[in-house]
Amino acid sequence: MSGCPGSKTIDFSEKTDLEGSETGKRPSQLRQWPIQMHLVSPQAPYFQGKDILLAADCTAFALGDFHKDYLKGKSVGIACPKLDSDQEVYTEKIRALIDDAKINTLTVMIMQVPCCFGLAQIAKEGAEKASRKIPVKQVVVGLEGNILSEEWI
Amino acid sequence: MENVLNKEIKTIIDACPEVGRILDEYGIGCVPCSVGSCLLKDVVGIHNLDPQQEATLMYRIEKAIYPDRKVSEPVIDTTKKSAPKKITYSPSVRKLVDEHVLIKRLLALIPTIVDYIESSIKVDKDLVLQCVDFIRTYADKYHHMKEEDILFRSVDEKADIIQVMYKDHDTGRGYIRQVVEGAEKGNKALIKENMLAYRELLTQHIKKEDEILYPWIDRQLTTTQVGEMFRKCNEADASVGEELPKKYEKFICDLEEKFLQEVAK
Repeated sequence: MSGCPGSKTIDFSEKTDLEGSETGKRPSQLRQWPIQMHLVSPQAPYFQGKDILLAADCTAFALGDFHKDYLKGKSVGIACPKLDSDQEVYTEKIRALIDDAKINTLTVMIMQVPCCFGLAQIAKEGAEKASRKIPVKQVVVGLEGNILSEEWI
Repeated sequence: MENVLNKEIKTIIDACPEVGRILDEYGIGCVPCSVGSCLLKDVVGIHNLDPQQEATLMYRIEKAIYPDRKVSEPVIDTTKKSAPKKITYSPSVRKLVDEHVLIKRLLALIPTIVDYIESSIKVDKDLVLQCVDFIRTYADKYHHMKEEDILFRSVDEKADIIQVMYKDHDTGRGYIRQVVEGAEKGNKALIKENMLAYRELLTQHIKKEDEILYPWIDRQLTTTQVGEMFRKCNEADASVGEELPKKYEKFICDLEEKFLQEVAK
C-alpha cells in the first residue's frame, strides 16, 4: 500500500539544481484581503470584472515565482479541496463570481497530487452552473515547484 | 549573421535554396509561400522550436549561406521554454480551429464538385452559388471577420505573418469572384481553375493558422486579453445569431451526402 500521494512524506531538501536568483526584493502582488474562499465575497470590489486566480493552498508555497508569474494582475481565492469543509459553498461562489461579479477569466492552480484535482472540479461545476461563459485555465504545479501543465479547459 | 537575420526569407531562399530545404526539414514551410516577406529571425522565432533545435537550425543556415566561413558551434539558450508537445489553444482560438473543420469539409469536396460540373451538360449554377454563399458567408464573414477584426488586432497587425494572412484572404476573395463569373457565364474552365486554386490556397492557409499562427498569437496573449477576446468573439457570434452556423453545417452535411451518392454511382 503506497498510501495517499497527497500526504506521502517526501524530502527534497538535498536538491542542488537550483536555478534563478535570490538577489533583490520581490514585492507582494497581493491586492486584497481576505483571500480564503470561505471568507471572500463575490460582491467585493476587487473581484468585479477581474481575472481571478483560484489557488490550492499549497501552490503558493511550492511555486517560487507565484507572486510574479501568477498572482500579479489577478484577484485571488485560496482553498484546499482535501481538507476544507462545505465545499458546495465554493461552487456557488464561483458561479456568483462569473454571473454577478462578471469576472473576465478564471485560472485554477492546483498541485499534482490527485486530491487537488477536486478544486479543478469545483471550478468546472461553478462555471457550468453560471449562465455567463468565461475562459477557464488549469495550471498544475509539481511538488518541487515546477509547472507540469498549463492549459485552457 | 546578424544582417541575414533581418533579411526577407524569400530573398535568402532565392540566393541560397539550401536554406529552404533546411527550413523544410524543421517543418517551416517558407518555400512555397507566395509572399515571403517575413524576416528570417521572425520565421525562426514564430515556430517556437526548442532551444537545441533552434540553435542547430541557425548553425546549419549560417553554414549554408557562408560555406567558407568558420561558423561557431551552436549556442543553446536553455532559459527559453521548450515547445509544448501538443498544441493547445485558448477558447476563442479553439473555436476558430473548430470552424476550420467545417471549411475543410467543403475543401475536401471541391475536386468531386469540379468533376461533377465538368461532366454535366449544363453548369449547375445553383450548386456553385451555394458553395460561394458558404465561402462568403461562413468562411469569410462569420470566420475571417473574427480573425481580422478581433484576433489579428490583439497582436502586431503589421507583423509579416499577419500581412500574409490578409493577403491570403484577399487572394481567396479574388478566386471566388472568378468562380461567380464562371457560374454566370456557364464557363466550366473558369469555375474549375478558381475553385481548385481556392482549395489549394485555403488548405495551406488553414494549416499555417492551426499549426503556426494561432499558437504564436496564443503565446503572446495575456490572460486578460484571452478573456476580452472570448467576450468579443461571443458578441460577434451573437450578432449573426445561432442559426447561421447550424444552417451552414447542414449545408455541408447535405453536400457530403449528395456527393457521396455521386461517387457511388
